[in-house]
Amino acid sequence: MKKNRGKLILIGITVLLSFYFLYPTYKDYKFTKELRSLVGDDSLKYLEQNETDIRDARMKRIKLGLDLQGGMRVVLEVNVLKLLEDVAKNKDSLFESIMNEVKAEAFSTDQDLMTLVKTKFKTKEVRISRYYGSIRDSDDDIINKLSDESINAIDRAMEIVRNRVDQYGVSEPSIQKSGGNRIIVELPGVSKEAEVRQLLQGTALLEFKLLIDPEIALKVYQSIDKTLAGNPIVDSTAADTSKQAAVKKDVAKADTSLSAIDTALAELPEDQMKAREQAEKEHPFFALANSFSDEKGWNGELYTAEESRAKVMRILNKPDIKRLIPSEMAFVWSGKHKFISEGKKFYTLYAVKKTAELTGGVIVNARATIDPTYNQPIVTMEMNNEGSRDWARITGANVNKRIAIIMDNGCFSAPVVRSKITGGNSQIEGMENIEEAKLLEIVLKAGALPAPVDIIQQTSVGPSLGEDSIRQGVYSSMLAFGLTIFFMIIYYRTGGTMADLALLLNLLFVLAVLAGFKGTLTLPGIAGIILTMAVAVDANVLIFERIREESVTGKTLSAAIDVGYSKAFTAIFDSNLTTFITGVILYQFGAGPIQGFALTLMIGIVASMFSAIVITRVIFDIMTERGKVIHFG
Amino acid sequence: MRFFGKTNIDFMGKRKTWYTISLVGIIIGMLSIPIKGGLDYGLDFTGGTEIIVQFQTAPDIGDVRTMMDKAGFPKSELKTFGDPNKILIRTQAFGEGTVVGDKIRTALTQTFPTLNPHVIEEQKIGAKVGAELRKDAFLAIIFSLIAMLIYVGFRFKFIYGVGAVTALFHDVLMTLGVISIVDGLTPYTNFEIDQNMIAAFLTLVGLSVNDTVVIFDRMRENQKIHRSMGLMELMNKSLNETLSRTIITSGTIFIVTVVLFLFGGEVNRGFAFAMTFGIITGTYSSIYIASAVVLDYTNYKQRRKLKPAAAEKPSYETLH
Repeated sequence: MKKNRGKLILIGITVLLSFYFLYPTYKDYKFTKELRSLVGDDSLKYLEQNETDIRDARMKRIKLGLDLQGGMRVVLEVNVLKLLEDVAKNKDSLFESIMNEVKAEAFSTDQDLMTLVKTKFKTKEVRISRYYGSIRDSDDDIINKLSDESINAIDRAMEIVRNRVDQYGVSEPSIQKSGGNRIIVELPGVSKEAEVRQLLQGTALLEFKLLIDPEIALKVYQSIDKTLAGNPIVDSTAADTSKQAAVKKDVAKADTSLSAIDTALAELPEDQMKAREQAEKEHPFFALANSFSDEKGWNGELYTAEESRAKVMRILNKPDIKRLIPSEMAFVWSGKHKFISEGKKFYTLYAVKKTAELTGGVIVNARATIDPTYNQPIVTMEMNNEGSRDWARITGANVNKRIAIIMDNGCFSAPVVRSKITGGNSQIEGMENIEEAKLLEIVLKAGALPAPVDIIQQTSVGPSLGEDSIRQGVYSSMLAFGLTIFFMIIYYRTGGTMADLALLLNLLFVLAVLAGFKGTLTLPGIAGIILTMAVAVDANVLIFERIREESVTGKTLSAAIDVGYSKAFTAIFDSNLTTFITGVILYQFGAGPIQGFALTLMIGIVASMFSAIVITRVIFDIMTERGKVIHFG
Repeated sequence: MRFFGKTNIDFMGKRKTWYTISLVGIIIGMLSIPIKGGLDYGLDFTGGTEIIVQFQTAPDIGDVRTMMDKAGFPKSELKTFGDPNKILIRTQAFGEGTVVGDKIRTALTQTFPTLNPHVIEEQKIGAKVGAELRKDAFLAIIFSLIAMLIYVGFRFKFIYGVGAVTALFHDVLMTLGVISIVDGLTPYTNFEIDQNMIAAFLTLVGLSVNDTVVIFDRMRENQKIHRSMGLMELMNKSLNETLSRTIITSGTIFIVTVVLFLFGGEVNRGFAFAMTFGIITGTYSSIYIASAVVLDYTNYKQRRKLKPAAAEKPSYETLH
């Protein structure tokens, strides 16, 4: 017992760790079951009560591949036509009419877009050099150049999408080029459609824009507020403000009264309603876009509930309001909601300078880390030479002002410039958590897509070949597993029983490692597990056969076990290592499903070495020490 | 319980016969590939057409499958898409424009008039992606064979590595041949060479070398004990000693893969078949190919060593 104490502790820790890693998976299963049994309000209530637990369990459970649990599949198409329009020079009405015809025909034929463009120009008897390339180039040359450009654009877009998806942290994403200009993205287990959409598509342009001075912005906002209060407006489409038919009057009529807002608030308690009513009457703009100021004063940000954003934008675009806004002032919303209050998501409205100081093309690298001295998430950003020069000038001229980092008209951060930044290396602080920092890193890295991409299809994928196939796969695996266990007991008796115990622990370890390292279980992955079970059985067979051989020569039981284990070891080691090498190569070269298989194979081999060599050995040692007779068949 | 007592089979003595049988087997298998019009690649290697159909209520997947078979698109892959009312149909057919889609559309409206099927998405997968994946799979197999050669050569002697890899080539070619022959013979054996099949091949490569290494390991051990024993006798002894383990292990894996083949459903069938056959040939090749190659090479080298000694003229006049 004593000499095995270390090993026993090791086994104990491993088993406990396994249970620890698998517990979230079990909890997730429980929650899902519970949620399924509840209906309507009850399930919602249950969800609210256990929200953090449920989310936590979901994060840490074993992830299932797209083939087992479904996920999101997005098909992106690089808009080559738009690219062509973007790079054309001297665009005129003739060009537009030709492009429109190409656009119309591209939908109905299978012809290559470039050939289509070429023939269109030819039939119209227009030289392509009028819009592309230089005057002396022939049509063919230009078309070749353009098609090279479009192919490059597709490749670049693909790389950027791949990079972004990787950074987003989806396990086993599959990104494939399909046809000439499509990219298929498969994201197992992902259901946040809006986030994915934004990630894949909403990335056309990254800009740095100066924030308008809060004092100036405040004056503008106040004058907007005053104008609205003096000449109150009611939104013609404001179904969210009121269900009353009266609202649907046209703007001119409704503009004269506040009746719609009044009725909308009618359900509130008397005094509260009055206060609110009063506030809305006096400050119709700030009622929609709230400002919070603290001891440092107002930070220039306004907060608006998700559903009111459109209304605020409509107000800001009204001709009589537009007159109040300085020409260089523009507005952007935050890319993500800032906080949640009363069940509503609130977005930040920033007032920024219309012209960008710098665009994202100058960014070379960005990285989210934890600042070791303050233990705060930070993002470091690196720019190229040209960008660094501009950046030094911009930051130098705007110390203590804020610069908004804007991607596709969504502001992802608006840090304050602390000092002039030379050399191009900047550090952004003040993110609430590492996730926020990560998102900013992604935004910065993404820069601008070289070609516009459209999402042409976005669907959730059902489990491959229906639930019946999976059930068949799982049941047959269980049957095979059971048969193996049964055989081992029959053939090797006590030894076999112990080996089976080790086999079950082996299964536990594989699943725990999968859960712990956030691996993904796929159908081929299950096949990999079965295979490692076979390898684990083989290790035990090697040992037991050896023990049998040795006991024939007249050794005592414990001596036979000793020799059996030590002699079988090299064979087990060499044979397992060769299988492991296969696993590494498979992982390196395989695509999605094969990688799942290779991953479980590699984990399983390590686990089976441990269970066959350490666990069964300890059991046999303890049994012989206690004078028990072990039968190996 | 015990299946095998001490055996004393002369494995190595009959190796020439088995060489011939293996060679003939491989030749027949390889010949069957061009005869059958090439290997049957899966969708991920060939590209193809994909259609998503929305039904009013969930149709029986089996009915859709039969419909696709009748419409001239056998081996279509079917999945539910989001909810049971939507079915994703994938076929290897890849026609110009919407030819394939139109055919399937017509078949759908004729077969399920009451379910009101309509295509909500149609997509073609380019052959270029397939070519890339095919290249990667090929590389994976080649690299794993090279890795085995290096590892076994390093752990034993170089010729042992050559023997092991020869056996692996034998296994891969044999299995490929058998798959080619069996493919399409019965409705249950429509095997495609897809990514899953490549995984099966690499697995059987792993298991076969596993088997070979166990035998080599025993030879290495016996060589230390019985120093004067001839290589052939030594090999026979080692093979007999490990036979029980070989049969038990391979038998267990065989049972597992047979169960998977019979009850594992359509998706796993190709994988399980390759594994089942691969286990048989892997076990066989460890004995009759891997060990035999080592034996014949050693014999050949010894004969060459003996020859100059037997010759009367010393060859000191040659220049090296």
